[in-house]
Amino acid sequence: MIVAKRKPIEEIIEEVQAYDKILLVGCNECVTVCEAGGKKEVAVLASALRMHFMNQGKEVKIDEITLERQCDHEYLEELRNQIDQYDVVVSLACGVGVQFMAEKYMNMPVMPGVDTCFMGVTEERGVWSERCQGCGTCMLAKTGGICPVSRCAKRLFNGPCGGSTNGHCEIDKNVICAWQLIIDRMKNLDKLEDYEALVPIKDWSTERAGGPRKVVREDVMQ
Amino acid sequence: MPLKEKIAAGKFIILGEFEPPKGADFDSFITDANLVKGRVEALVVPEMANAVLKASSLGGCACLEREGIPSVFQVCCRDRNRLALQADILSAAALGVQNIMAVNGVETRFGDHPQTRTVNDLDLIELIETVQTLSQGKDLAGVELKGTPGFSVGSTIDAGAAGNLLDIEMERLEKMLENGVDYVITNPVFDLRRFEQFVKRVDTSKIAVLPTVLLLKSAGMARYIDRNMRGITIPPDTIRRIQKAPDKVQECIRIAAETIKQVKKMGLAGVLISTVGWESKLPSVLNEAQL
Ligand code: SF4
Ligand code: SF4
Repeated sequence: MIVAKRKPIEEIIEEVQAYDKILLVGCNECVTVCEAGGKKEVAVLASALRMHFMNQGKEVKIDEITLERQCDHEYLEELRNQIDQYDVVVSLACGVGVQFMAEKYMNMPVMPGVDTCFMGVTEERGVWSERCQGCGTCMLAKTGGICPVSRCAKRLFNGPCGGSTNGHCEIDKNVICAWQLIIDRMKNLDKLEDYEALVPIKDWSTERAGGPRKVVREDVMQ
Repeated sequence: MPLKEKIAAGKFIILGEFEPPKGADFDSFITDANLVKGRVEALVVPEMANAVLKASSLGGCACLEREGIPSVFQVCCRDRNRLALQADILSAAALGVQNIMAVNGVETRFGDHPQTRTVNDLDLIELIETVQTLSQGKDLAGVELKGTPGFSVGSTIDAGAAGNLLDIEMERLEKMLENGVDYVITNPVFDLRRFEQFVKRVDTSKIAVLPTVLLLKSAGMARYIDRNMRGITIPPDTIRRIQKAPDKVQECIRIAAETIKQVKKMGLAGVLISTVGWESKLPSVLNEAQL
């Protein structure tokens, strides 16, 4: 899923300070799972904003809604008939959702309600960590199912750098060295000889370095 | 003559480490280098060691080669992509540089520009492979070059690694050998007995091992390194010697010289002497080591 975290309330207040009719829009998918932009977080943000404006003695209309997804036309269309009642929208979806909303409702200011961080997993409740950077050419088959692009600070492909200490990365003692994980896993799979083989120099053209990306599937297009 | 040939001729190789200035004034860099001209095989010019901004290794090498002092050009994965690296490597060859050394580069968050974006387009092994590809007359896109660079190729190895990590270092060494690395330079060595254990694991007939001999500056520096730098231990006796010595600078020079002599006795290919800011003291270290 896409992992996001809540934006500091001060930042959101600044985004909406100039407006009187605010719609907060949550998303029922990734950001709900990582507890940053689902129905619950929309409610919490709404109360915080109401409190803020009340203290300021300013009357502001703040409404809440949570869509199934914000990265699909179908769900964003649900706002079509009501969006004109507001003068700003705060989207608590990931950056993808915020942008798609802005593209659809050209005359409506759309503000981000979360900081979008990465593609990752829920390690345990309250702890999310990165697993993939969408490099466009997945090499997990060669690395025991552990991704050196997203999990190695230096994106190394041929074994750890010299900085790995007791299985931890040199950038931070709290980060596990991806290559330690890869080696341990290769050992378990009895595939250490794969680790010893050199990986060909990576083609980064499918990654963000090659410019904004697009996937087109003619077979499913209508 | 490139280092490879000197190593093959059985000469005890002495390298000095010369950091380029932070700034455009290369005067003392050049003056200090001339003090050891003819007494060292080459001077290694680090590429922004510890991710601290300095003039580039290529710039430093160009200055040295102009003075007739052989240099070792450091190429680093951290700051340049494959285009920039290949361009610099070709330029180095044109400037007369015959020796190259590939390094990973310390993470930028530890340096003085932590806000920067690291590159790491190629990893260390891939960078070494790139040098080899260029030396075979082609670039990474497979296009033929006009004029082929020739280098003696080196890299680094962690001599302080133990246990599982040592196995990993040996694995890396294997990959370096496959890609034509001629010599490896280790991190600073003070405890020769421990270092011997490392050397035993390496087939020194296939690859030249040059330990770094670091010129200490004070007992405080020694203690700091011993406590904080992974893989480096400094025997307590050494620290005590500096503490007690009436002339501490001279004692530090003596310690470095003794280490060099011991390395020579071990039959290793040579040493890299690192003086970190005390480059003008390099001649005294060489005198003391009778080199
Ligand atoms: S808008 Fe973002 S958070 Fe919501 S489903 Fe799509 S990708 Fe996930
Ligand atoms: S190799 Fe690329 S696609 Fe595969 S997990 Fe890593 S970043 Fe994602």
